[in-house]
Amino acid sequence: MGNLSDLILQFIGNTGYYMLDYRYLTMLIVGVVFIYLGIAKRYEPLLLVPIGFGILMGNIPVFKGLGLAIYEDNSVLHYLYMGVTSGVYPPLIFLGIGAMTDFSTMLARPLLMLLGAAAQMGIFLTFLGALALGFEPNEAGAIGIIGGADGPTAIFLTAKLAPYLIGPIAVAAYSYMALVPVIQPPIMRLLTSRKERLIRMEESREVSKQEKIIFPIIGFLLCCLLAPAALPLLGMLFFGNLLKECVVAERLAVAARTSVIDTVTILLGVTVGASTQADVFLTPQSVGIFVLGALSFSVATASGLLFAKLMNLFLKTKINPLLGAAGVSAVPDSARVVQHVGQEEDPTNFLLMHAMAPNVSGVIGSAIGAGILWSFIVT
Amino acid sequence: MTGLEAISAHNGWSIAIVGISIVFTGLVLLSLTISQLHKALDLWEKRGVYWERFKQRGQKTAEPPPERECIFLPRDVKESARQCKLLVEHLGQPFALPRLLEFSDRCGLIHPHSTINELLLAEVIIPDGEGFYLWNDNVEFTS
Repeated sequence: MGNLSDLILQFIGNTGYYMLDYRYLTMLIVGVVFIYLGIAKRYEPLLLVPIGFGILMGNIPVFKGLGLAIYEDNSVLHYLYMGVTSGVYPPLIFLGIGAMTDFSTMLARPLLMLLGAAAQMGIFLTFLGALALGFEPNEAGAIGIIGGADGPTAIFLTAKLAPYLIGPIAVAAYSYMALVPVIQPPIMRLLTSRKERLIRMEESREVSKQEKIIFPIIGFLLCCLLAPAALPLLGMLFFGNLLKECVVAERLAVAARTSVIDTVTILLGVTVGASTQADVFLTPQSVGIFVLGALSFSVATASGLLFAKLMNLFLKTKINPLLGAAGVSAVPDSARVVQHVGQEEDPTNFLLMHAMAPNVSGVIGSAIGAGILWSFIVT
Repeated sequence: MTGLEAISAHNGWSIAIVGISIVFTGLVLLSLTISQLHKALDLWEKRGVYWERFKQRGQKTAEPPPERECIFLPRDVKESARQCKLLVEHLGQPFALPRLLEFSDRCGLIHPHSTINELLLAEVIIPDGEGFYLWNDNVEFTS
């Protein structure tokens, strides 16, 4: 009987219920909220549902030493997480993004690329803010990239600079990407006048197939010769786009934008979510990261808007400054937000395709920014 | 260390300024290249046409100007011939000989029949082989 009661007590002591404390409970609630936002509210469901469930998986208290938790060397989750920490998953996601992106609006009006460049100022201004708050340069670089509004880029750079911050930074980056429809509109209305929001854009020219095929090659060479550290991300982005545009490798393009990206998104989402273990995630540092992340996003949006207004001082044909907000590389959500805010003033003003130009150039800009931060901070 | 001191200690200002500049430079270069790409492709597609034009221009300068024949005409015929030339320009080429005769008569040309005969014999007016006539531009008058 004594042995039986000992066994039962030992069993109870090893259950998650026994080891659960307020920190794990908090994170489990956060996980459920993410899943709710993804399913019920449809905020970036392809990201929030895997991340939310990953948070649940990562915050079941387990007995250390059994190879169950994500930070234990011989656990399944740890092996799957290696794709994140080694920086393998983000380039594969960029391959899929390149294979599904149409750069023709950007090719038709290359001037709008500058709005994508302006929005990346949020990265570097947040980098300065993080340094000022006492973060180390590698941590500040990883936090700053949240302003690029690009999940794979944020994870890639954080894996290189500060792998122990992947959890909070990834969760912050993806959360703010999902909240783009909530964060951006107030800033857009504050920094633009009604008259500016009513500006209609000229129709873009037709882009030939030859241009669409040559662009990824030229874009890759120009960007990566300038910033070689952006090679893993931009190389895969432009390669994926070439597969799509050349038509002769359509099978590969279809695989890249469906099975490859979907598989990697599942693994990345679940493992990033699981990395947010309560004892690692719930720290004052994480709160600072979330605050700076929100600031970074806001500054990036404001930079793009203000730069568009600056460009209008020199342009004969004015551009709608709302397009500046699409310079954050949350494709295609920020372009949709621009369309929505523009249509609040004039329901017949269709800005979506014009907004895609700075939106996709923002992806290129944030990858270059990440490469620059990596090369400056590591060397 | 926090605040501006921390930024300066970690070279934050330099990293931020250089970083933003490089991002802008990269995207400006890319946008400039893209803006010229469709023009370069257009030039490449029409390269045959431009090459032909270049060759033709070269041929025109290479060919020597045709030698002009000197025809002796009596002074009175020479003046009539000049008037005939004006009439031919008005009629356009090739022209019908009876029409030239009719115009010459109407304009008061002196001795139109003999003038046109002299011009035919001197090969200033030449047949085009299809029943009409042309003015021979390779001929100069002298008296």
